[in-house]
Amino acid sequence: MDHRPQAWGRPRDDVYGAYDASFMNPNGPNQATQSPIVTGTSVVAIKFSEGVVIAADNLASYGSLARFTDVKRLRTFADSTVIGFGGDVSDMQYLDRHLTSLAIDESYSAPSLDSDAGGPPKARLNAANLHKYLAKLLYARRSKFDPLWNHLLVAGLDDDDKPFLAAADLLGTTFSAPSLATGFGSMLAQPIMRRFAPDEEAAARLTREQAVDVVKQCMKVLFYRDARSLDSYSIAVVTKDGVDLKENEKLENQSWAFAERIRGYGTQTA
Amino acid sequence: MTSIGTGYDLSNSIFSPDGRNFQVEYAVKAVENGGTSIGIRCKDGVVLAVEKVIASKLWRPGANKRIATIDRHLGAVYSGMIPDGRHFVDRARDEARAWRDTWKSPIPTADLASRMGGYLQAYTLYSSVRPFGITAIVAGFDPSQPSPVDGEVGRGPSVGPGGVKEGLTHGGPGLYMIEPSGLYWGYYGAATGKGRQAAKAELEKLDLAGEGISLEQGVKEAARIIYVAHDDNKDKEFELEMSWISDVDGPTKGRHEEVPRAVREEAERLAKKALDDDDEEEGKKDDEKMEE
Amino acid sequence: MAAMFSQNPVMNGPNYSFSDAPRTANGEFREHRFNPYSDNGGSTLAIAGADFTIVAGDTRSTSGYSINSRYTPKVFKIGGTTSSQDDATILLSVVGFAADGEALRDRLDAICKIYRYRHGKPMSVTACAKRLSTILYQKRFFPYYVHAILGGLDEEGKGAVFSYDPVGSYEREQCRAGGAAASLITPFLDNQVNFKNQYVPGSGTGHDLKEREVVPLVRRDAEILVKDAFDGAVERHIEVGDGLQMMTITKDGIEEVLLPLKRD
Repeated sequence: MDHRPQAWGRPRDDVYGAYDASFMNPNGPNQATQSPIVTGTSVVAIKFSEGVVIAADNLASYGSLARFTDVKRLRTFADSTVIGFGGDVSDMQYLDRHLTSLAIDESYSAPSLDSDAGGPPKARLNAANLHKYLAKLLYARRSKFDPLWNHLLVAGLDDDDKPFLAAADLLGTTFSAPSLATGFGSMLAQPIMRRFAPDEEAAARLTREQAVDVVKQCMKVLFYRDARSLDSYSIAVVTKDGVDLKENEKLENQSWAFAERIRGYGTQTA
Repeated sequence: MTSIGTGYDLSNSIFSPDGRNFQVEYAVKAVENGGTSIGIRCKDGVVLAVEKVIASKLWRPGANKRIATIDRHLGAVYSGMIPDGRHFVDRARDEARAWRDTWKSPIPTADLASRMGGYLQAYTLYSSVRPFGITAIVAGFDPSQPSPVDGEVGRGPSVGPGGVKEGLTHGGPGLYMIEPSGLYWGYYGAATGKGRQAAKAELEKLDLAGEGISLEQGVKEAARIIYVAHDDNKDKEFELEMSWISDVDGPTKGRHEEVPRAVREEAERLAKKALDDDDEEEGKKDDEKMEE
Repeated sequence: MAAMFSQNPVMNGPNYSFSDAPRTANGEFREHRFNPYSDNGGSTLAIAGADFTIVAGDTRSTSGYSINSRYTPKVFKIGGTTSSQDDATILLSVVGFAADGEALRDRLDAICKIYRYRHGKPMSVTACAKRLSTILYQKRFFPYYVHAILGGLDEEGKGAVFSYDPVGSYEREQCRAGGAAASLITPFLDNQVNFKNQYVPGSGTGHDLKEREVVPLVRRDAEILVKDAFDGAVERHIEVGDGLQMMTITKDGIEEVLLPLKRD
């Protein structure tokens, strides 16, 4: 019997064939993430006159298995920003912890809540700052060939307290637009949102209610057509007054009438 | 000072024949000269307050904070040598961060006090170092709800084994005072620094161990006690600095924050009024005596 | 099969084998599946005049057949004193993989800013051009996947355009098109800027034909040329469109205009 720890619990070669123990070899190449494991699907967001509405469903899939059904993929930071995470859930959790410690470090030197006259302006992390930081982090990780497998939307306010919405992906690519969607949403939800906010001016005319309605409509379409989506979702509205986050919303007024005419959606006899 | 000339006070890590470490006792002297710091453990939160001695007229009011945030839910204040206190805070922040890295959840107040107690104690053991010239008061509020692990997936079962039990609460307010020797105890009310005797006498009157007081009341008492402990005739001018921590459903949402200016100023107004009333009463008594 | 027999004297007979590198089921080395690059489409164009330089780019950002955003600038001011870049004297356009483009822009900008702080004057375009080449070549074996074009005024006040390949090979030119529609715009530029295939009327036939004399364009003509070039590219290339960002650098500073392009 081989008592070396490396051999503990391993199947015997003479019975099962050579065992690939490469992952235990300290001199071998480092294994970085090659593909995401537990994943979240689309995140959608749209700007309106005073802020941003952002939504994502509460599902974390394991391949095609709907594995975790109450995962909150919208996360609030510094009480003023919501980040929506698509892609790998463990990387999302890593980023969540990382940003939490960043926010704690920031609070050490936070000036008083109502700084006395003549004091320095409030130092705080706004959405634009967080987005820049995350984009640099994602780019640095892709440059190490060890990417954080996420596509993020950052919703909040910029330095001038104007609505801010921008995306960053696992390659460090960034872009900003009046409406954004990740994953399937970029094909299914983005055309709907662009009808209401084709440009910044149009987005600036949208009311909060209109923006929420559009996003809810998008979540419904995504649930109809994205097989890795869920009817339970989170939605957040970010404005100057803070973050209004609801984490247990249900899709309303679904109508599957359209499906009857489509082969593969339901029971079909011919 | 019976120690002087015996030689046993010249090195840390050397006991005197009657079992004392004089270097530690000298460190306590450094603390006794510092501005008064107090902490009050209330029913629904903790208050920290410090008498910040204005060492220079060139300081901007409100600048040079003395109370530090250790983690979201933890704060600390200290009396004695300020640079030692700053290092204490740095170390406490490292401990809090390391705890989060390991356990993915915030460090309980008791554990932070334990770690910092151990850290200070180590500085009494070696001849190459000197003990900390501070006594620190650490305050925290461990969340009463089962605290979510940072970035956890889902919330687990809602009922049954492993599920959330209705009405069960955890945590609560915590207050600890750590001395240069590394000794630390949990307190209902803690005071250190120059005015500690007067402050302790006032804290004992508050019935913190029995019925307890509310956080709002605590803020007012803390302000008053700092004013009481300050000797107008002898001491330099001071500024009152206060911070507080409540539960997640309280005014600070579970975080350690500076007491808002409006609340602090109201507490200071009441504190000054209480002092004036006392003086008047003393005056009256004196008058009565005169009449006799 | 030495590995079949243990170093451990207690053991003889079959053993547990430990191979070195991850392999596929076929026994071949397994390669990294992660691709660190992508293509965000778009096109850029720069033209040097006698006393001006125009650097332009469309503002569309794409991933495959999707439009990420209709306004993502590709032309940047470089080396201003502050982040507002009000007093910048150099323009950089990058097209290709947008994340690399922004990283490259940030690095060049930081270097130019440090130069400005240390020397008390902005870097010359020619110096900046060489520096950019070095930055690109430093990543020779993990290149910035971009086609960069640098524009400015040289020490004599003449318009200068420098164009680069992804690993730092560069050249000063009169004009250059880059990105998705480069192959569409380049022949147009050859004809309209460098007067290729233009001959003096009546100068004869065959080898007697006299080429039209090449002179720098006037600013207004160059600006129209840029707009026409992009209008043409938009018609024929799906990754180009939405907006045209055009920056013109003269001795008086940098002017920026944003013109609409087709959004289809």
